[in-house]
Amino acid sequence: MKNVRGTEALLLSLLEEGVDTIFGYPGGTIMPLYDELFDYKDRFRHILVRHEQGAVHAAEGYARATGRVGVCFATAGPGATNLVTGIADAMLDSTPLVCITAQVTLDKLGTNFFQEADMISITIPVTKWSYQITKASEVAGVMAKAFYIAKNGRPGPVLISFTRNAQLEMTDFAYAFHKPVRFMERSQNLFKFSLIDKACEMINRSDRPLMIIGQGVILSGAEKEVIELAEKGHIPIASTLMGISAVPSSHPLFTGNLGMHGNLAPNMMTQACDLIIAVGMRFSDRVTGDVTKYAPNARIIHIDIDKAELNKVVRADLPILGDAKTVLEQMITGVLFKDRSDWMDFAREKWEMENASVIDRLLEIKEDTVSMAQVVDEIANAGGGDAVIVTDVGQNQMFSARYSKFNKSRSLITSGGLGTMGFGLPAAMGAKLGVPERQVVAILGDGGFQMSVQELGTIMQSQIGVKIVILNNSFLGMVRQWQELFFDKRYSFTSMVNPDFLKIAEAYEIPAKRVVRHCELKDAVREMLECPGPYLLEVVTEREENVFPMVPSGASLDGIIY
Amino acid sequence: MKKTEYIVIAFVNNQVSVLNRITSAYLKRHINIESLNVSESFVKGISTVVISANTSADTIEKVVNQLGNIVDVIYVDYYLQSDLICKELGLYKIASVILDERSYFEYILNRSNGRIIEINNDYIIMEKSGTRNELEKLKEELEKRNVLTSYSRSGIVVLHRESIENMFQKVS
Ligand SMILES: Cc1ncc(C[n+]2csc(CCOP(=O)(O)OP(=O)(O)O)c2C)c(N)n1
Repeated sequence: MKNVRGTEALLLSLLEEGVDTIFGYPGGTIMPLYDELFDYKDRFRHILVRHEQGAVHAAEGYARATGRVGVCFATAGPGATNLVTGIADAMLDSTPLVCITAQVTLDKLGTNFFQEADMISITIPVTKWSYQITKASEVAGVMAKAFYIAKNGRPGPVLISFTRNAQLEMTDFAYAFHKPVRFMERSQNLFKFSLIDKACEMINRSDRPLMIIGQGVILSGAEKEVIELAEKGHIPIASTLMGISAVPSSHPLFTGNLGMHGNLAPNMMTQACDLIIAVGMRFSDRVTGDVTKYAPNARIIHIDIDKAELNKVVRADLPILGDAKTVLEQMITGVLFKDRSDWMDFAREKWEMENASVIDRLLEIKEDTVSMAQVVDEIANAGGGDAVIVTDVGQNQMFSARYSKFNKSRSLITSGGLGTMGFGLPAAMGAKLGVPERQVVAILGDGGFQMSVQELGTIMQSQIGVKIVILNNSFLGMVRQWQELFFDKRYSFTSMVNPDFLKIAEAYEIPAKRVVRHCELKDAVREMLECPGPYLLEVVTEREENVFPMVPSGASLDGIIY
Repeated sequence: MKKTEYIVIAFVNNQVSVLNRITSAYLKRHINIESLNVSESFVKGISTVVISANTSADTIEKVVNQLGNIVDVIYVDYYLQSDLICKELGLYKIASVILDERSYFEYILNRSNGRIIEINNDYIIMEKSGTRNELEKLKEELEKRNVLTSYSRSGIVVLHRESIENMFQKVS
């Protein structure tokens, strides 16, 4: 057995877990760990970010693109508290993270020591698990447990607080992967087979079923099973924001996206269907609208791995606690084909309505301006649906979700649950580092871009080949849209005076271009995608474009405006 | 929404921060905790947490599901008072003037099934176990007489009629 320092035990544990990339930022209390890392430079790629929030969002982007656990380091106190937004984001979006923050020496805990912040207390409501390591001998066991918890069951963030004395102490190191903890056994595949039979019977009896897929499908790797089940039974599929890309956009049974800014067809189908088969989704308020008027004619089968999600928002007629892939696999044999052409015609009709009233209008070419929808559409056409699209929050996000096309799973990375502005740029960096062979395009608002603008420094230093698209409407666009629609156009503090983004890009040595007219768009997008390294494309868009369709906040899905 | 007293019983690993995680689940939903008791269970290293709070049936079910997601919670469920044997211990510090009315004092002692654990010239300390209502009734009576100088209750100690321990052993 090797006798090592606590810091080395930690790095060895990361190697055991297959970690190759760490996003982090050093500081006083974490210096012993960074000193150790200096000797492990050949085994880890450490990405020095420009703000710890960038580190945690990058780790999220990495995790979301690869399906692996994202890892970040931050020092005690302010470094650690800078992670909190990203940890909360990961909690709501079930993103597996292990965040390691330094902490003051054990015997100084609770004394308001320099840079002491009680991260365990601060992060309790936003972590799946947390632990303060106060002895070097704990490192291996705790890290094994941290990784196990982060990625198993419903994934989520884990925070490890690493006291300085534990970093410096010596310990014997031996690593063993964590064995399931009791609580994990509870949350996996406890369903009875009779439930599967019942579900199949409900599906076979239904004339108008709708399969709603959430990120759980991606997390459990159930993409293939979803399609198989849908094809076998001739069942239309709709996706939540977080489930987008699990099923290719072009699949004939895919009817679009649900939610506040989703498509007309799936939202109206929700209200008209007689059965919802919800897979790995949590009936978020953005999806249900007024929950008392949600899916009035439907019985509900809800498949989820998290017991706390079953019957939380809507009562399911048949809740099934289990892993999406396993449950669907069992269901496929029992589901029979039924001709549901009328039901598919319903979807087609709604699509025609949406095309006529929204899409055609937004994509209509006006010589002197560019719409945000056109930018996303152009990227989708040029990228052929193979790119990973990372969004920020706001109109840019909704346009990206609506107008992108996807051929492959794990291709839309967006902050769904927390709606965190500033997420996009660092998450795109993490995604690109995770899947370097793929094109990664960050589509950002001018507001959200500036919340993480400092990460251009990271992109420069680490030469991360992300494509950055700024949809510059000189507004906090989504808030402005709400002000226009619901606050009498009183544009209270949403107009922005922006810097020259090209000069900023130049300062960071990132090639850049600005587009102001539609005729320049196509070439600029091509040039961006062909550029081997990072690239920044600023598109000055129409200032007051709105995202439609829209379900106003608190309204029922019937109240969708388009 | 109708509120009822629900008693949550959780078996948890005896570890730093577990209690914070549990109370955080109540805080998240803005539920006030009326009583909370933590003690070692019959298994070493595992504590029993007993929490009583007033809320609706729907909410408590969701809280318990969320408590079940806490890694260090081994088993958790919720109960009504009537499902459980609930007892508390009360300590009463009584001014010794009560001894001037000896027959009354004896009557109180007998009727309440109390026990004297300390006595001196100034005060008497009496202990009594019972339901919260029983303890409170005695407290009010002594207050009316103006002889109660101090009073404290332990918080509830519970035992499930159909033995939670059996369920727990199945899980563990
Ligand atoms: C950290 C944070 N602060 C505030 C908000 C509220 N918010 C949601 S969308 C939005 C406007 C975003 O503007 P911009 O980044 O320019 O994007 P656009 O909507 O114009 O595409 C704001 C302020 C948020 N989601 N996150």
